[in-house]
Amino acid sequence: MIKRSIIYSLNHPKTIVGFSIFFLIFALTQLSRIEIDTDPENMLPADAPVRIFHHQTKEEFSLYDFIVLGIVNEKNVDGVFNPGTLKIIYDLTEEIKKVDGVIAHEIVAPSTKDNIEQADLGSVRFQWLMEEPPSTQEQALKIRDEAMDHPMFKGSVVSDDGKALALYIPLARKDISYEVANEIRKITQRYSGDEDYYITGLPVAEDQFGVEMFKQMAVSAPLAGLIIFLLMLFFFRSVKLVVAPMIVAVLTVILTMGLLIGLGYPVHIMSSMIPIFLMPIAVLDSVHILSEFFDKYKQFNDRKKTIVFVLDELFKPMLFTSLTSAVGFFSLSFSPIPPVQVFGVFVAVGVMLAWVLTILLIPAYIMLLNEKSFKDFGHTSKEGESHFIDKMLTGVREACLKHFKLILAVTVCLVIVSVYGISHIRVNDNPVRWFSLNHPIRIADRILNAHFSGTYEAYLVLEARNTKDEVFMHPDMLKYVEKLQTELIRSPYVGKTTSLADIVKKVYYELLGGDKVNNVIPTTKAAVAQSLISFENSHKPDDLWHLTTPDYSKVNIWLQLKSGDNKDMSEVVDFVDTYIKGNPPPLMLKYNWAGLSYINVVWQNNMVMGMLRNFLGSFVIVFFMMIFLFRSLIKAVISMIPLTVTILFIYSLLGFVGKDYDMPVAVLSALTLGLSIDFAIHFIQRSIEVQHKQRDWQKTIVEMFKGPGRAIVRNALVVAIGFLPLLAAPLIPYKTVGFFMFMIMSVSSVATLMIIPAIISVNPKKFFMCKNGGGK
Amino acid sequence: MKRIILIVFCAFGILGDVQAQELSVEEIVRKANAVAYYSGEDGLSDVKMTIIDSQERERIREFRIMRFDVQDGGDQKFYVYFKKPADVSKMVYMVWKHLGADDDRWLYLPALDLVKRIAASDKRSSFVGSHFVYEDVSGRNIEADEHIIDETTERFYKLKNVPKDISGLEFAYYMIWVDKVNFLPMRAEYYDNENKLIRSIEALEVEDIQGHPTVKKSVARDLNRGGKTVMEFSNVQYDVGLTENIFAERYLRKAPIEWLK
Repeated sequence: MIKRSIIYSLNHPKTIVGFSIFFLIFALTQLSRIEIDTDPENMLPADAPVRIFHHQTKEEFSLYDFIVLGIVNEKNVDGVFNPGTLKIIYDLTEEIKKVDGVIAHEIVAPSTKDNIEQADLGSVRFQWLMEEPPSTQEQALKIRDEAMDHPMFKGSVVSDDGKALALYIPLARKDISYEVANEIRKITQRYSGDEDYYITGLPVAEDQFGVEMFKQMAVSAPLAGLIIFLLMLFFFRSVKLVVAPMIVAVLTVILTMGLLIGLGYPVHIMSSMIPIFLMPIAVLDSVHILSEFFDKYKQFNDRKKTIVFVLDELFKPMLFTSLTSAVGFFSLSFSPIPPVQVFGVFVAVGVMLAWVLTILLIPAYIMLLNEKSFKDFGHTSKEGESHFIDKMLTGVREACLKHFKLILAVTVCLVIVSVYGISHIRVNDNPVRWFSLNHPIRIADRILNAHFSGTYEAYLVLEARNTKDEVFMHPDMLKYVEKLQTELIRSPYVGKTTSLADIVKKVYYELLGGDKVNNVIPTTKAAVAQSLISFENSHKPDDLWHLTTPDYSKVNIWLQLKSGDNKDMSEVVDFVDTYIKGNPPPLMLKYNWAGLSYINVVWQNNMVMGMLRNFLGSFVIVFFMMIFLFRSLIKAVISMIPLTVTILFIYSLLGFVGKDYDMPVAVLSALTLGLSIDFAIHFIQRSIEVQHKQRDWQKTIVEMFKGPGRAIVRNALVVAIGFLPLLAAPLIPYKTVGFFMFMIMSVSSVATLMIIPAIISVNPKKFFMCKNGGGK
Repeated sequence: MKRIILIVFCAFGILGDVQAQELSVEEIVRKANAVAYYSGEDGLSDVKMTIIDSQERERIREFRIMRFDVQDGGDQKFYVYFKKPADVSKMVYMVWKHLGADDDRWLYLPALDLVKRIAASDKRSSFVGSHFVYEDVSGRNIEADEHIIDETTERFYKLKNVPKDISGLEFAYYMIWVDKVNFLPMRAEYYDNENKLIRSIEALEVEDIQGHPTVKKSVARDLNRGGKTVMEFSNVQYDVGLTENIFAERYLRKAPIEWLK
């Protein structure tokens, strides 16, 4: 049936082209409905318990996602604490209050927060930390000293070295952080002086990544396409011919994206990667056809006969390489992460679409070309690159025949070393690290985390099990919280913690005259209550409700982490689990985590384990497909060897180099699986066919290292080099994709061309004797 | 003497608009201030304060407030004795309000056995965590603002009040609706410098007690964050014969029991 449609496409090329154009136009009309979603939180379903708790916590404690604006003055001896810089900070705060999307009344800044301090006649005073910009240096230093003495400010609003001051700017919604950050940048640009300004915080990093990702997409995919085009032109010397795979690639990408958008799926960070994944896959099959067509044309000197011959030879391997790739990606639909599911399904659809387009559109396209276009075909293949590729292939062939034992021994050693490397893989992710090292987000992250106690936040919510009112007014409970905080600070990942206990202590000792001896939790509940009601006489009594609930049944410990690495957050979570288990609280407690850092940990864990399961699952499915394809267990096992070696080798590099196993790497495992098997399928399937005619392995291998070998090498070079420019991208996941494409193509082509013939050479008779479904 | 003045006020009210319209803005402000904060020679009331945040979470405070006028329309002394919640009972807050200078304020915290002076340079901080600020309770100095009659309706004089010194203020100006009949300020609205309404106070129930129009229930709303505080007054009495001597530091630890029953 399928072959009949190929014949049909050869006879009715215009109809095929017409249909393609129709679908293309339809897909293009859908693209305008694009909806973009750059929120990594959506890596979890909306009803995931951690998300529900996170939002509940945000609401209950009036917490917001915020942008951190750091103002650093390294030139002044007193850092930011001079009248000039403080005036700027004051004015900045006023301007930022007016920015759309900023929750003005919740900004944390010296001029918006209250302080409790000692005043004349042994009185205490509730006063704005900086009611107005100071006019003298003494006043500026007094503000510094007051801030350093306040648990809410020290390490978070003012840096311990006094060089830096941070404003915490709460946002109405997370998805406007990039816009708001840009507005703030515009404002800071209007100020000149010794101050440097840095913007950081997970919401900005995540939102900005989304924005840059799409920009990068618009650059990277076409750039990769262009280079692939140029490389193919170099190999095949015919613009007209090379345009065909490009058309297939572009059509595949547009139709798939049109379908995705048309069906109402938002384009998430993951799905924005679809074009760059589909591009090489779509090109691969076409290159096989073109490569064969290019080599065989001189035999027939007739495009129709040549294409029928080539398609007949390639139909089965192309179908199976497409199916295996599709299976690899489709397995992602079983992942627990919704955007990954969408990504997997649509790449799988795209892969099969690319296959259909390849076998229908490429022949139709060739038929539409003038026969004269192919006049000089075949001649060029004796010169230049082909000469070089042929020389190389001959060398490899000789090695496979003569030194197959050595090749196999090296392979075994490589596998052992790789397994060792893989055992060192570290699972970790951090949205800030998705930017390259010199990106402003990374620089801000480094500088601000050097000055402050940490710009990544997590919230540990403690709740009395038997909700008794005012549990956290009891001195015992506050002391327990205080102890937990002390222990947390001792762990290397936590820069600072803030809780109700800190406020109680601060107010208590200020009431008692400011002597630090009294920086303790008062001994009675009434004393705690009266300290707290005193705090409520301030300008911002509501600040209390960020740390506890009005019935004092819950407390929220605010953790500042210096690193947004998921592994560090995981350590903190484990630490708290262990501590609470080993040190039971005076009253039964429930505890739970909220905050973006924690959400990232949860979806990462889901992803890593999910991906691993999917990968193993699709590995097994691909294996069964190989058994079905070759009707032989031995051939199926052998076909899986280059793939296995490739995967082990590439992932071992992560272990050796110390690159984290993060989201992009996890997703790429599907691509690795789908692409690495391709060359093996082509090689084994074609060997069987050739052996069928030649009946002699020595002759078969010679032929195999001509046409099929050339097709593999051309393919590997086109895709590997085509994606190299991604290494220069400013976003790390793009670099990762570029690196993986390069490695998958080069390692799997080398592995296929060396290991498979080497294995066959061990005992060619046995290999080909096996019952197989090769040939027609 | 004061009662005579009050009767005159009432007469003004009853006589109607003719006289009222001839009042200058200064007179309206002065009268409103007198009605709101200086009724009688002294006064006391039990107050139930319900603080409701934007998430509808409620907290209740109960206290008795006593007032002594040192000078009518001038300096005053306040004594606030907390009864509930239990953890803060017997806590006392005392203010000596001075018109021309900073107030004197004390806080007595029984659980800390501590009498503490509170520096009172700023009167715009929260009154024990409620949405009322200190100035709402003790009264804002009428000399601090420029007053303009914005509008005169059938029932109210709507006054616009612009602070002479805006430092330390969370608002740019505020509007007051003064009842034309009894001169009680019935509503206040606070605006920021973008003309956005950020806060309001409203008298919800008014009763005539001993000839004084008296607010029995009022509400302050924070329109920025959401949330409100309702104050309910009961057992309101004027001219009970409070003596100035109990408004003293030594009566903080030893509350004047006879006035607290």
